[in-house]
Amino acid sequence: MKLAHIADSHLGIRQYHRQTPTGINQREADVANAFRGVIDDVIAQRADVVVIAGDLFHSVRPTNAAIVFAFRQFQRLREALPKAPVIVVAGNHDTPRSSETGSILKLFEELGLSVAADVARRFEFPELDLSVLAVPHQALVDPEELQIRPDGPARHQVLVIHAEVQGLLPADRPSLEYGGVVVTPDQVGSGAWSYIAWGHYHVRHQVGPKGWYPGSLEYTSNNIWAERAEEEANGIPGKGWLMVDVASGMVTPHLVKHARQVVDLPPIYADGLDASQLDAAIADRVASVPGGLAQQIVRLVVHDVPRPVAREVDHARIRAWKASALHFHLDMRRPVRLRLTGSGAPGRRQTLPEVVHDWLEHRVLPSEIDRERFVARGVELIEQVDSDGDGP
Amino acid sequence: MSAPPIGRVVATELKPSTPHQFYFWTATESAVGIGAIVRVDHPGRTVYGVVTDGMAYADLASPLHAVIGAEGDPAAAAHEPTSRTEVRLFLAAVLRQIPEEPLQPVPLGAVHLASDADVELALRMDAYTRSERPTGIPVGVYALGGHESPVLLDADFLLGPEAAHLNITGVSGLATKTSAVEFLLSSIFQTFPSHRGSIAAVCFNVKGPDLCFLDQPGEISERDHALYDKLGLAAEPLTSARYFAPFKADGVNLNTLRTHEALQHNTEPLVWGLREVLDYAEVVMNRDDIDAKADAFIDFLAERVVGREFTDELLRGKPFRVESFADLEEFFRAIFDFMEAMGRGGEVWRTHHIATIRKVRNRLGNISTRAKGLVIDDGAPNDLPWGRFDDRTVYVVDVAGVDPLAQDLVFARCVSKLREHLERRDLGVDHVVVFVDELNKYAPADGPDTYVRKMLLDLAERGRYLGLVLFSAQQFRSQVQRRIVGNAGTSVFGRMDMDELATPAYATLSPAIKIKLATLPKGELMLRHPHFTQPIFARFPRPAMLSGREGVERFPPGAELPFADAVARQLKQLDRRVATDAVRALVEGRQELDVRRALALTRRTRPDDVLAFFTAKLGRRVGGEVVTARSTIRPVPSGVDPYQ
Repeated sequence: MKLAHIADSHLGIRQYHRQTPTGINQREADVANAFRGVIDDVIAQRADVVVIAGDLFHSVRPTNAAIVFAFRQFQRLREALPKAPVIVVAGNHDTPRSSETGSILKLFEELGLSVAADVARRFEFPELDLSVLAVPHQALVDPEELQIRPDGPARHQVLVIHAEVQGLLPADRPSLEYGGVVVTPDQVGSGAWSYIAWGHYHVRHQVGPKGWYPGSLEYTSNNIWAERAEEEANGIPGKGWLMVDVASGMVTPHLVKHARQVVDLPPIYADGLDASQLDAAIADRVASVPGGLAQQIVRLVVHDVPRPVAREVDHARIRAWKASALHFHLDMRRPVRLRLTGSGAPGRRQTLPEVVHDWLEHRVLPSEIDRERFVARGVELIEQVDSDGDGP
Repeated sequence: MSAPPIGRVVATELKPSTPHQFYFWTATESAVGIGAIVRVDHPGRTVYGVVTDGMAYADLASPLHAVIGAEGDPAAAAHEPTSRTEVRLFLAAVLRQIPEEPLQPVPLGAVHLASDADVELALRMDAYTRSERPTGIPVGVYALGGHESPVLLDADFLLGPEAAHLNITGVSGLATKTSAVEFLLSSIFQTFPSHRGSIAAVCFNVKGPDLCFLDQPGEISERDHALYDKLGLAAEPLTSARYFAPFKADGVNLNTLRTHEALQHNTEPLVWGLREVLDYAEVVMNRDDIDAKADAFIDFLAERVVGREFTDELLRGKPFRVESFADLEEFFRAIFDFMEAMGRGGEVWRTHHIATIRKVRNRLGNISTRAKGLVIDDGAPNDLPWGRFDDRTVYVVDVAGVDPLAQDLVFARCVSKLREHLERRDLGVDHVVVFVDELNKYAPADGPDTYVRKMLLDLAERGRYLGLVLFSAQQFRSQVQRRIVGNAGTSVFGRMDMDELATPAYATLSPAIKIKLATLPKGELMLRHPHFTQPIFARFPRPAMLSGREGVERFPPGAELPFADAVARQLKQLDRRVATDAVRALVEGRQELDVRRALALTRRTRPDDVLAFFTAKLGRRVGGEVVTARSTIRPVPSGVDPYQ
């Protein structure tokens, strides 16, 4: 039995204030396109069952476009795979904070989807010898404890759950989505299931021998750069979904074709560089973006940039790059100053000319200025002012 | 008018009277026997003694004269015209002389059988039975020729603080060791003076059903009733009793023979978690393991890791929270993974060598496997009521069915906890009697110096200052750690094996006393007590409670219950209103691990509404919804995708 495991599509998310020609937020359209591609893929792969492990929508009240889009995609899926059950659970993003709000996900029951929006439900599909326990975010928040265990005679026992696994992911991992309920492997009876379809964590990750987070379909977390870095560190080429052979436990990742890249360029360390040199270094980095900067999502971190240098870099060119990219984040960071002398420290206090001398010795200067003459002139001027002040 | 004498003291040059022993002769027909207490009257001095040996002889110079006189025919010897004069001579050891000073040889006075008052004086019982605040505890009766006199022990010397501890020796089955302890506990609970404080007992049942029915009345004979009356005791069982037994491996059926339905109200599980075990981890170490390195690592675990948040960035980013054996295993796994990843040079973690870490992990893992049922993994222990012990209550810990390693752990922890609480004076009672049978097994004279033996030795040597009293029993006193039996202020001997009596430990006993000890009937014993200058024979009544064998017949152990029923029984103990059917319905289809966890939490919390709490802790069960065939869907009309 082939199970398609999708999670964290975050339909309706809006980022970066760029619009499509039809006036829709570009990232919202990107996410929708990724989802459409996944539905195409699932139909092509002829999945026997499809599970969506939470955060279908980015918000409790998604845009009308997102609702209509999701409805049509599920309609398409149902039409193409009429015998395949589709199970959807609500995640922390699409769970209303108050019960009277109601969940938009229930709309999809009209299409024959099995939806667990606020309470856990166990769906049994005798013709597939399959039982699916669908546990939405809200069911884990409720004070009443929930027994999360396989049940019934079905051979295939699948758990679909939107939560964070305790102990598996470091708390300080910056790409981790916050707001999820933390559950222990014991609490979900890890070893007892045929497969556990996890949702909430945006990077593909195996949880125990028979459980996976497939990751999100696009870069939609609070820290997409850390998300990307983690993927690179683990050799994960991009976002996608999982096709699971429930009987054998074999899991095959399927990648999403992204409309644009997310590129975190190697950082620049600008200590000792003047503005023109820094301009050149930035340009080099920008030129290295595969396929060019246009319409990409790019970040470049520049460390140790003193304020005068930051002021003097070529901002016109930077604006041009930003206009070209979908999102170009040039993150120039000031040097970390380490005080070597403390105020009130014992010893002789410096005179004003000495203070000025030290300061001018370290001030960033355009490369064409002779520092020695510059310092000598500065000290001379301050001594003159000083002596003028001494007169009767 | 006083009774006529039954003999007279005789002293010759070869058999003189001394201050410590004397000879006396009696008529051939007299009630005097080995162990008899006699009184010697002489103007200005009264001497009490106990018969330790006896002899008889006639006026013949040698056995040859008897043979020749009967012409070698034993039958003809009976037809001699006159009977030869037979002399009955007894040797008695002095128990007491009045006046005590000057201490002189026993005078040539008339010898009388001791009366009740004489027995009291002879055994110096008057010092503690006739004072303003008497401290006598009946232990049995001294019986001779149809006359019975109560024998009392001094509570100050039996239960501290002057001396303490009691040791019983005797062969298995005939020596009535267990019966003697049961009767003595009953006697102590009835007569321990309130001005000396409160008292409780902790008994370890180490074999079969021996101590499993102390609270159930047993049938006793008229003669025993009379003995109870003579001793001023009520013939009743130890009605205030609480039983503790570990679970079997299934985690719900108790590992004890006291599983009859009618006995459930005061039978509780004894289950410990990681913290309880870790504090006594050295118990599970064998001799080779006991080294400073393992100790140091165990201390590290106890102080820095278990029960608190422990962070080590090198092992993993997220802090460890070790509460159970499973958590501990995860912690060890992280250490090993880290050290393996380090490769060469990865033999030491935080100054602890990997071999030490592996050893501690193996030993701790071992206890959770071998003591399954005693040790649980969900951190919800059920323990003796430390700090809330009740006066005149016996707490029986039944470890008869568990692994020896677990038995050691139970001993060590219970006794250590008793000592800790008594030192702080917050146990709930002032004195505790700890009864341990089979000292030959737990504190042998030779063999490895185990933690349990050290603990028993410590208890024997220091316990009396704390009010912690050891009542111990064994078959062979000579094969028990000498300092443990040597510290017992009171010693009791039942029927003994001749081989055992031949050991040097019994050299001070006369051959006649040894013969008597080797043939003692059930219910009789020989006592040594600090107030008694010589060993005294006494008879005690059968304890008024069911013996182990009778108990098993009257209250046959319940069959091992199915899982759900066993859970229901546990819940019923907390709340009698819980219906078995309701529990069955709740438990059906649940995983046993989940049920055990919910049960342990319920037992620990003891909520008002037991069933509701248990149900909540089991977690809401999600019922199945059969999804029938789905209706077909209309095709998607073109041109409706808002994003295209």
